[in-house]
Amino acid sequence: MTLRRTLIAAALSGGLLITAGCAGDDLAEDDDSKDAGSGGGGKVVLASQSFDEAALVTAMYAALLDEAGYEVETKLVDSRPNYLGEFPGSVDIVPEYVAGLGDQLNTDANGENAEPISSSDLDATLEAMQPLLEDKGLTLLEPSEAASQNAYFVTQEYSEDNGVTRLSDLEGESIKLAAHPDCAGRDDCEAGLTEVYGIDIELLPLGYASPQTYQSVLDGESQLGQTGTLDGTLDDQGLVLLEDDRGIQPAQNLVPAVSVAFLEEHPDVEEPLNELMAALDNATLGELIVRVTVDRETPEDVAEDFLEQEGLLD
Amino acid sequence: MSLFELTWQYLTTAASWTGSGGLLDRLAEQLLLTVTALLMGLLVGLPVALWLGHIGRGGFLAINISNIGRAVPTFALLAVLVTADWPGPAQLGPYGRAGLATLIALALFALPPLVTTTYTAIREVPDDVLEAADGMGMSGVQRFWRVELPLALPLMMSGVRLALVQVWATATIAALVAGPGVGAIIVSGFARNHYSEGIGAALVVAAVALVLEVAAAGAQKLVEPTRERRVPAKVRAVVGDSL
Repeated sequence: MTLRRTLIAAALSGGLLITAGCAGDDLAEDDDSKDAGSGGGGKVVLASQSFDEAALVTAMYAALLDEAGYEVETKLVDSRPNYLGEFPGSVDIVPEYVAGLGDQLNTDANGENAEPISSSDLDATLEAMQPLLEDKGLTLLEPSEAASQNAYFVTQEYSEDNGVTRLSDLEGESIKLAAHPDCAGRDDCEAGLTEVYGIDIELLPLGYASPQTYQSVLDGESQLGQTGTLDGTLDDQGLVLLEDDRGIQPAQNLVPAVSVAFLEEHPDVEEPLNELMAALDNATLGELIVRVTVDRETPEDVAEDFLEQEGLLD
Repeated sequence: MSLFELTWQYLTTAASWTGSGGLLDRLAEQLLLTVTALLMGLLVGLPVALWLGHIGRGGFLAINISNIGRAVPTFALLAVLVTADWPGPAQLGPYGRAGLATLIALALFALPPLVTTTYTAIREVPDDVLEAADGMGMSGVQRFWRVELPLALPLMMSGVRLALVQVWATATIAALVAGPGVGAIIVSGFARNHYSEGIGAALVVAAVALVLEVAAAGAQKLVEPTRERRVPAKVRAVVGDSL
């Protein structure tokens, strides 16, 4: 009995810790001070995740909205669930990824084990998530061509020696893959590589685009490493991405997610954000991200620089 | 289902325990890591601590050096060892990827409790007992083997016990360099949002830590000196019942 009580207590306190962790990122602050009135100005709250890529894109949003006369407040948190509870509500606009948002809304609505609704087909994914967005009171603007997806790299040497440029070139091979531990069983990672591409994968859980993962591939311990389509550091390291020619990656296109209520009141936010989405592609964004992650420029500086170049900002 | 129920379900499903990469596999790997690292720690730490305790000098230095080991995060040390040319991330038999690096990091982690308690245990042998031993004409070696070591053993054992439980729980970090052990299940559970697996495996680690603690306590009882057997009667005759 004592043992069981102890276990329960341990489990409970673990749960409390997790809850406390989320509460630390609480976004609920002043959500009553929004200006009513149509378009042009007022307060807008942006939320996004805190990793460099998201921070950079969020800075672009912020600069554009500032230009449009809004008083912008930005909240960067560790993970999507931390802002999703208050969006819409105290959060108005989120720089999102199509499939990531869709699958999160899906598991929130239908449980941890719900079948993913995303696929590599952008239009099909958008259509599948439409009812979930409506229930939640959100809408998506135009998705960008830029898509932040998992991608797999080999060394240039390996690519040339073995004539490998696409993932399907590895069919039937036994391959060691250095990747994030969440790779196991995922359709866009181990499961997809095994079932769709017929590659015999042995997973080394060394992290997503982590120094350990790069090192493992460069040392020849692993043949394949996991990173993202927006990784601008590969070239300098002598690494090349393999093409996902059978489409196992869900459509993680960048897309502005906006509260329906906010958009009705402020329809003028739509145009600049759509123009931004049109201006971005993987190569451009990849280079900009390197300036943040490698050159340590601030996301705000890089964002402004880029927007001025594109003529989106005066 | 609540997280608690999911965790319970995970822990009560046979498939979670058996099979390649199941809890039993991982427990065996982690036990092997733990015991080996502890033995390495004992091999390095005990002779030094015993000798320093016996001559009664240099303890301050030894304890502080080994305490630096407490201050350095074990994972940071492991990361450095894996990145270095040696030992690096090479496979080491049943110890898996970066096996040697993991063993070294864990052995260093075991040193502080081993060295501190062993040194203290020898130093805490009462002065009157040592005087009695000297008075009987025991040589240094005799005094060490027949008086100091037997009297120090219980406290030394508690150091070993402490190190065992600490190393066991910490051995989960092997997973962070793609090594073996229950940590692999914890890391992959949390990484894949299967919190039930992560929490379940963590509970198993905690439960086994308790089991190890109890077992080590039992072993400690066994080496508790029964006065008649461990301390020479002549010494007892001199110092009386103060032991």
